[in-house]
Amino acid sequence: MRVNPDMSGDVLAAIWKTQSQENTALQQMSTGKRVNLPSDDPLAAAQMVGNQAQSDRADQYLQNIDSLTSQLQTADTALGSAVTAVTQAITLGVQGSTGTLSDANRQQIAQNLLGIQSQLVQLANTSVGGAYLFGGTATTAPPYTLDSTSPSGVTYNGNSGTNTVKVADGLNLQTNMPGNQLFQNAAGDVFGSLQRLITAMQTGIAADAKSATNDLRTAFDSLTGQRIFYGNAVNQLNSTQTFLQQEQVTLKSQANNLVGADLTKAATDLTKATTAHDAALAAAAKILPTSLLDYLR
Amino acid sequence: MPGLGTSLSIAVQALDANQGALNVTTNNIANVNTPGYSRQVAVLNEAPTFQESGVTFGGGVTLEQFQSIRDELLQLRIYEETGQQGNSQTQMNSLNQIEGIFADPTQGVGGALSAFFNSMSQLSTSPTDNNARQAVLTSANNLANSFHQAVSSLNSIGTGLDQSVPQTVGQINRLTSQIATLNGQVAQMQGLGQEPGTVQDQRDELIRQLSGLLNISVTQTEHGLTLTTANGVPLVVANQSYALQSNANNSVLEHVYSAQGQDITSQIQGGQLGGTIQVRDQVIPQLFTQLNTLASQLATSFNTQHAAGFDASGNAGQNFFTPLPSTTDAAANFGVAITDPRLIAASSDGSAGSNGNLEQLIGLRNQQLPSGANPMDMYANLVLQVGNLGANAQANVTASNLSVQQLTDQRSSVSGVSLDEETTNMIRYQRAYEAGARVVTTVDSMFSTLMAMGVTT
Repeated sequence: MRVNPDMSGDVLAAIWKTQSQENTALQQMSTGKRVNLPSDDPLAAAQMVGNQAQSDRADQYLQNIDSLTSQLQTADTALGSAVTAVTQAITLGVQGSTGTLSDANRQQIAQNLLGIQSQLVQLANTSVGGAYLFGGTATTAPPYTLDSTSPSGVTYNGNSGTNTVKVADGLNLQTNMPGNQLFQNAAGDVFGSLQRLITAMQTGIAADAKSATNDLRTAFDSLTGQRIFYGNAVNQLNSTQTFLQQEQVTLKSQANNLVGADLTKAATDLTKATTAHDAALAAAAKILPTSLLDYLR
Repeated sequence: MPGLGTSLSIAVQALDANQGALNVTTNNIANVNTPGYSRQVAVLNEAPTFQESGVTFGGGVTLEQFQSIRDELLQLRIYEETGQQGNSQTQMNSLNQIEGIFADPTQGVGGALSAFFNSMSQLSTSPTDNNARQAVLTSANNLANSFHQAVSSLNSIGTGLDQSVPQTVGQINRLTSQIATLNGQVAQMQGLGQEPGTVQDQRDELIRQLSGLLNISVTQTEHGLTLTTANGVPLVVANQSYALQSNANNSVLEHVYSAQGQDITSQIQGGQLGGTIQVRDQVIPQLFTQLNTLASQLATSFNTQHAAGFDASGNAGQNFFTPLPSTTDAAANFGVAITDPRLIAASSDGSAGSNGNLEQLIGLRNQQLPSGANPMDMYANLVLQVGNLGANAQANVTASNLSVQQLTDQRSSVSGVSLDEETTNMIRYQRAYEAGARVVTTVDSMFSTLMAMGVTT
């Protein structure tokens, strides 16, 4: 039977094939990726789009958590100082309601209380990066101004709006509490009680001072209760951060499963391809140069 | 009883015939590497016998013809597979370029889309921060640029393909005109009873080249071959070729017309031309449609939500992106309508510090657009599609390469020149020639003997 006398085509095809297998294995080992073009594995490449987006999103959530944590901690610290200031005011109020004080002493206490009032206003106007923390969503202007014509001694310029920020897929965290809810809610009014205490001290009506001090105590309880919001939010951010860091690890390993090269397999493939390539070359070297002419003299 | 003269003339015939046969061997060896060459064999026949005194004597040998050894059916299969090979190779080359646009999930439209939504997420932590607002505008412009870049990359691949159409058509016309000439010669030689071997080899090789350029159908007639496109548009009939024409019609794309002026662009499916036209007219427009749908629906739904919010001055949101009501060229026209970062409608209650509308805008990331998928999934679909097309083309190239290789091997086993065979033949003819020459010397010496008979010494 006549066979194909020209082996060069087959030999070249075999050499090219083993060479391309070598290239593939080498590319996988050098890039560490199995999928370098979508056609290498279309489904994995498409899933990688989602994986990458999710991973970018997790990075962003972590950044969000960083900036929010500093805002929330600043707010919490400010409220901590406010709590201390109110405690001082209560102590002064208890002193002032005994009724055995001289006018001068009462006036002195009233002066101290006025100092506390302006300190509280200052704390309620705490800002981060030009944004006021306790003005609701009206963050561009100081939420509280001293106002002697107002029964509470202050005017609230903010609103009752709250913001939420996404810090994980499906987790929108409330990031602020408006000043009117913190300091002046239905359970207690820090500024109102303080103003009444100041007036009682100035006028010297011991009974008023006593009731104002009691109101201030209630307002104090309410303030410390509201403050827990910030502590909780920070805690929630911390645990979300841990979750996101774990998620990133999961996403990375998922990405690796999708498009990463199995290096052990790639190395084995490379060895196999090299062996096959050598064999093809050796066969070519043996077959191609021989013909009947070699044996004729 | 034939004389010595007859022996001598038979011996000379033997010398002629074997020398002629050696010529065939020489020619085969010379063409061992010529593409499309079919080996020839010398057809030797007994010369007519003659009778004398009731005895029939052999009349020697004649070299009848040189016959090319070929398998016509195999040749047709080779044309067919070469067409498939040309098509898939062309598609794969273009698709590899297209894949490059969508290969890296951190880059391109996908990466920019992701970064855009993330920049809004960053802004939501401090809605009054002007730097964060500027960052949103910057990433929105990056998104627009990545749309434009994808469009221009696809366009330039399409333009490259489009420019190759007239070149390929020119190549086709050159080939068909050469084939027609050779086809006429083959028919003429066959009419005269001559063996058209060499001419036929040249013609078949040109047809093979032609079949790599477009899908053809080959029919054998008494006037030679008739070549048509797969849909029956004549290319070569007898010694007449019909040139295709390419022309940019009212759109910017090159169309292909038959010699009769019929637009056959969409009928051409095989070969390099078919592959070019398929990628240009089907694959790229399909990708454009998806990019445009994404761009238009994203801009529209984003603008709608944006208008529901309030900017940093408390005014209702304007268009954030340039409105793209139609999907035509939406990706190319995708643009950011605002330049002042304060105009980003982050607020839902009119206060500058509110991020309520931002949250809604970020939520669009996971919301279905009218197309039925969210923006990221639409993009992932695009990547999937490009990948599948590339992978299919790759598989087709591998398969058609293998087929062509096998068929070529098969053809070679019939028509290929074997040096071993030729060497063997060479020795056979050489020995026969030597023996014939010996007969001549022997007859010569017999003549001498005969002449000497009359001379006394």
